[in-house]
Amino acid sequence: MIRLVGVRLAGVVGLLALLSVLVFAGVDLLPGDPVTSRLGATATPEHIAEAQARAGLDHPLAERYLDWASGLLRGDLGTSATGRAVTDVLSDRVANSALLAGLALALLAPLSLALGTWAGLRAGRRGDRIVTTASLLLVAVPEFVTAGALVLVFAIGLGWLPAVSLVPAGTSPLAVPEVLVLPVVSLLLLGLAYAVRVIRAATAAASRSGHVEFARLNGAGRGELLRHAVLPAVLPVAVQVWLVTGVGLVGGAVLVESVFGYPGIGALLVGAVQTGDLPIVQALAMILGAAMLVALVVADLVVRIGTPTLRTGAS
Amino acid sequence: MRPAAVALVALLVLVIVGPVLAPYSPTEPVGPPYALPGEFGLLGTDQLGRDVLSRVLAGGQPVVLTGLLGALAGSVAGAAVGLIAAVRGVTGAFLMRPLDAVAAVPPVLVLLLVLTAVPGRSGIVLAVALAGAPLVARVTAAAAAPVVSRAHVEAAIARGEGMAWVLGREVLPLVAGPLVADAGVRFVGAVYLVTAAGFLGLGAGAADWGQLIVEALPGAVLQPAALAAPVLLVALLAVSVNLVADDVVRRSRTVLA
Repeated sequence: MIRLVGVRLAGVVGLLALLSVLVFAGVDLLPGDPVTSRLGATATPEHIAEAQARAGLDHPLAERYLDWASGLLRGDLGTSATGRAVTDVLSDRVANSALLAGLALALLAPLSLALGTWAGLRAGRRGDRIVTTASLLLVAVPEFVTAGALVLVFAIGLGWLPAVSLVPAGTSPLAVPEVLVLPVVSLLLLGLAYAVRVIRAATAAASRSGHVEFARLNGAGRGELLRHAVLPAVLPVAVQVWLVTGVGLVGGAVLVESVFGYPGIGALLVGAVQTGDLPIVQALAMILGAAMLVALVVADLVVRIGTPTLRTGAS
Repeated sequence: MRPAAVALVALLVLVIVGPVLAPYSPTEPVGPPYALPGEFGLLGTDQLGRDVLSRVLAGGQPVVLTGLLGALAGSVAGAAVGLIAAVRGVTGAFLMRPLDAVAAVPPVLVLLLVLTAVPGRSGIVLAVALAGAPLVARVTAAAAAPVVSRAHVEAAIARGEGMAWVLGREVLPLVAGPLVADAGVRFVGAVYLVTAAGFLGLGAGAADWGQLIVEALPGAVLQPAALAAPVLLVALLAVSVNLVADDVVRRSRTVLA
C-alpha cells in the first residue's frame, strides 16, 4: 500500500513537471508577448526591446523556465504585469473561491448521496426516471447558462436575491452571505447532476448483486439493505466522485464567478487573460492543474483502499 | 430520443437560415436601449438599442461553425495520435503522456491558456481541438488495440506496407464507428467551450449566443427577454446535441458488441 502511494505520488510529480513545461512553453512560445501588447502599436522598437529586457524576456526560454519553476518550488509565483507579487494578488481570491467551492461541496456530498441512492434503489421506476432526466439535462447545459436562468428566476422574477455578488473591498463574502446563495446553487447544480448520475448507477449495480438479493429474500428491510449491503459498495465510488467534482467545481467556478462578478480566482483569471498578464495565468493554471492531479490520485487511492479485492490482490 | 433529434434539426435549420430571417442588422441600433418586447421588435432591444431577435438569429452560426471546426480538428488529431499509439508501443506511450497532462486540465482553463497566446476565432478552434484530442486519442487507442494484432493487419505489415497505409486502410475502417460516435460527444464539448469563450468576452467579436448572455446580464432587470432568449437557445442546443450524441454512442456500442 505504501509503495502504491509512493508510486502514484511520483507519478503526480512527473505529470506536474510536464504540466509546468506545457503551461510555460505553451503560453510563451506562441506569437505575441505581454510587454509588447501592453506598450501598444505606437511603441518604438527600442522601447519594446528595453521593456522586454527589463522583464527578462531576452533570456533564452529554458533559462526563464528554470527561473520560473524554481520560484514555484519556493512558493514564489513571480511578479504580475501590474507590478504586485502574484502571491499577494492571489491570496484573497483563492480564499474566496475556496469558500464558494467548499460550500458547494459541503452541500453536494449529502444531497448527491441521498438522491443517488434513492434513485438507484428505484431503478427504472418513476422517481428514478425524473431524477435521471433532470440530471441529464443539467449535465448538458453549460454552468453559466444555468446561472443565467437562476438570475432570471430568483433575482429578476422573484427578487429574492441579488443578481450581482458585490463584496465590499477588504471584507469576506461571509459578511454579505446573501451574495453567496446563487453562485453556490449554480455550482451545486453543476456538480450534483454528475455526482447523482454516478452514485445512482453504483447503487443500481450494487442492489442487483447476489448477496443483496439474498438479504432481500431473507426479509431484510430497505434501511438494513442500504446500511449493510449497498452503502459499503457505493461509498468508495461516491468519495471519488466528490473529490473529482470538487476540483471540477473550481474550474466551473471560473464561469459562475463571471456571471455574478464574484471576487474569486475565476474573475481574476479571465481578467489576466484579457490583459495578457502571463505570470497570473501561469500561476493559476499550475494551481488548478495541481489540484486536479492530486484529487485524481487521492480518489484512485480511496477506491483501492475501500475495495477489498483491489487492496489484497485477491479476485 | 426522437424529440431530441427533431429539436436539433429544427435548431440547426434556424441557425442556417437565421441570418437571412433577421429583420435588422445585428449591429445597427433600431430603437432606444432596453426597449421591452413589442414596439421595437419581437424580443425588444439590447443595451445599445440593437434588435435582440436579429442578434439571436445571427448568433447561432459562429457557435455551430466554430464548434464543428474545433470538434473535427480535435477528432482528427486525436485519432491520428491514438492510432499511432496503438501500433507503436514505446512511441505511443511517448505520445500519450503529454496528452494525459492536458486531459487533467479543466477545459475552461485550456481555453483561457490558448486564448492568452492566440486570441480570436482560431484560438477558440485550437482550444476546442486541444481539449478534445486527448480523450479522442484514448478512445481510438482503446478501440484500435484489439484490431492491430489481427491477421490482416500483421499480413499488411509483413508485406511491407507503410505505416500510413496500414493505419488508414486496415485499422481505421474498423474503429470508425466508435470514432464517429465519439465525435458527437466532442461537438457537445465544443459547443460548451465556444459559448463559454463568447460569454467570457473572448469571442472574436461576432454576436454569438455566449456573448449575448454576458451582455444581457447587467441589464437583465430592465430587459429580461434579452437574457432569456440566448439562455434558452444555448440550453436547447446543448441538451439536444447531448441526447443525440448519447444515442449514437449507445448504438455504436451495440454494433461493436
